Amino acid sequence: MAAHLEWAGDEPAPPPSLVRRPLQPGELPAAVQAALWRGHQLGSPVDAVRSTGFAALDAELPGRGWPCHSLTEVLQAQPSIAEWRLLAPTMKQVVADGRDVVIVGPPKTPHLPGLRFAGLDERRLLWLRPETPAERLWVTEQVIKANAAGLLVSWLPQARQEQIRRLQICAQTHDGPVFLCRPAAAEHEPSAAPLRVQLRVGLDWELHLHLLKRKGPTHEGHIVLPSMPGGLESILTPRLRRPSLLIAARKAHEAQEAQPTREVSHAVGSPDPRAAPRRVNAH
Amino acid sequence: MLWAALIPEPPRDASTRTETLAGLATWCLQFTPRVAVIEPESPLPAVVMEVEASQRLFGGKRRLVQRVREESNDLGVQQLSWAPTSLAAVALARAGASNGFAKPLDQLLDALPLETLTSVESHRATLARLGCRTLGHVRVLPRGGLSRRFDGQLLAALDQAYGLRPEAHDWVQLPDSFLAKLELMSRVEMAPALLYGARRLMLQMSGWLAARHSGVTAFTLLWWHDAMRSRSAGDGGELTVRTAQPTRDIEHLTRLLAEHLAKVELLAPVGDLALRADDVQSLEEKSTSLFPEPQQAHESLELLVERIAARLGPQSVQRAVVKEDHRLEWACHWQPSSEPRPRRLARSVDIPQPTFVMPEPLRLATRNHRPLYQGVLQLLAGPHRVEGGWWDRTTQDGQATTRNVVRDYWVALSEHAGVLWIYQTRLADDETAWFLHGSFA
Repeated sequence: MAAHLEWAGDEPAPPPSLVRRPLQPGELPAAVQAALWRGHQLGSPVDAVRSTGFAALDAELPGRGWPCHSLTEVLQAQPSIAEWRLLAPTMKQVVADGRDVVIVGPPKTPHLPGLRFAGLDERRLLWLRPETPAERLWVTEQVIKANAAGLLVSWLPQARQEQIRRLQICAQTHDGPVFLCRPAAAEHEPSAAPLRVQLRVGLDWELHLHLLKRKGPTHEGHIVLPSMPGGLESILTPRLRRPSLLIAARKAHEAQEAQPTREVSHAVGSPDPRAAPRRVNAH
Repeated sequence: MLWAALIPEPPRDASTRTETLAGLATWCLQFTPRVAVIEPESPLPAVVMEVEASQRLFGGKRRLVQRVREESNDLGVQQLSWAPTSLAAVALARAGASNGFAKPLDQLLDALPLETLTSVESHRATLARLGCRTLGHVRVLPRGGLSRRFDGQLLAALDQAYGLRPEAHDWVQLPDSFLAKLELMSRVEMAPALLYGARRLMLQMSGWLAARHSGVTAFTLLWWHDAMRSRSAGDGGELTVRTAQPTRDIEHLTRLLAEHLAKVELLAPVGDLALRADDVQSLEEKSTSLFPEPQQAHESLELLVERIAARLGPQSVQRAVVKEDHRLEWACHWQPSSEPRPRRLARSVDIPQPTFVMPEPLRLATRNHRPLYQGVLQLLAGPHRVEGGWWDRTTQDGQATTRNVVRDYWVALSEHAGVLWIYQTRLADDETAWFLHGSFA
């Protein structure tokens, strides 16, 4: 530090025209500011994205949408609970662009009349049904390499991390988003996918999302997205829009019923021998 | 004039020699109609083609030369040479040189030995006694003496090679059907290894298709077993590959064939191969665009589907057909992608429908008359009555029954399994039961 000061003192004073406005502490020149990435900001913008259709989720994702050219992992405790609800807005865009949606190995049979509410129609959905885990990986890789699908959703319950890494390398040439649905246990394994989302279903027509991994600072807390599955909007009464209240009421009712009904003593003046010490305990 | 001369690997016997030359000429016909076979009886026969006028169509001289070089290499061409005249190209090819444009043609040809031109080579003994060892030595001899002492062919061939006299060729005609044979270099015991030989035939077929502006929708690979086979193995076998759309894309056809060959078990080592184009349809040429088009990606989905169906079976690639039926099981039907689908879309319904359905309705346990599935289910909306179907007759276990259903559907909410679509139905003896049928995932 001392040497630096001496060196600074030796230097002749610059001509007054070159003297810039002194920078405030913490302020940076504009050119440096533009090139600098700070740890608390979201990561470098992903080159191509597809909007998720949820403004709250877009705000938390690098590039403000599902990334193209890379994998996105969706982790759930059970498969086939909320995938379509999360991806329906994106699928709508993909289908509107005239691209196909390809799904690989969903755990249950997709039902198209329901998927029409998610914007899909039978011309635009292709269901690939591999049987073994190895075939699942092969099919997924072929679809990614062919770059023929506008959006790919693949259920890979048993994929290992080196297989995910291989898919991620292939996915760098894929123009649409690629979603891998994996079990929640995969949360503890490392994964090459740049974006990992943990998905849970909320009772009051909500999706709870937690971003396990993204390009940028770690995400804390939950994103709550309103999500109404296809067609239910029209039949729900205001009371049914808060099912958590119904469930809580039912549980309270059940708990009340489940309590052993205390025998009411009809004898006046004979106090319950257990009542007195309990009241003391309560205080 | 831009002439290419292609000298194939010397064939082992005379019968395959004509086929090799014909196959090579067929392949050449995709570049130009001006293809000729030079001296088919000589020990080093050649196929020549003139591609000056085709340069622009194939993306310029450099790319055309590159493509011819790469594909001819796969076809087993020993030497490929380029020169301004056909005889010069052949002479250079026989001498092992490839570029006839490196120096002025006179200088290049003057240095070549006498064997490179067949008409000169037939007089080699006499010419050698005159002290001639190269074409240049012959050319400086007085022309009058040459024409008197030797036949007119010698001088004509020399003049044609040097470009002083016009050449005349018998152009090769394109055959109407395609069948190419190939004798394998060694006995092949594993079916996937046949692909190497088949690819060579496929290149010829692609050239034939390109010359006819057509694509293939079905082709057959035939093979014949070695003479040393066991008696039970039979003569050979064949494999027919079909495609959904006419194509002549070699990469796609090769991959498709590879998937099919992977399932074939050879009964005996194979010595000969043949490829036949069965169904040929004219292919509409698409002009390529300056900018990449997203439409091309859509086309490749069909190719991808074919490849996956070839390996995993047609059942593994499915598309949906929506039927206008009120019963959930028959409202949506999945069928292999290759089967034809109705042109008209079914009308959509506005009542709630699940997005995933169970393969079979799952019977739920009950507690206090409430259905259980990973805990007690909270019934939200219902009942939605679905009834009827007595007209839909079917045969099950040899007995004629109807697919009649009487169900009350409910939207149910589970704390762990999300929003479910369950129904209550009547069993025998006035008993009721709950079934899980789908989920609003």
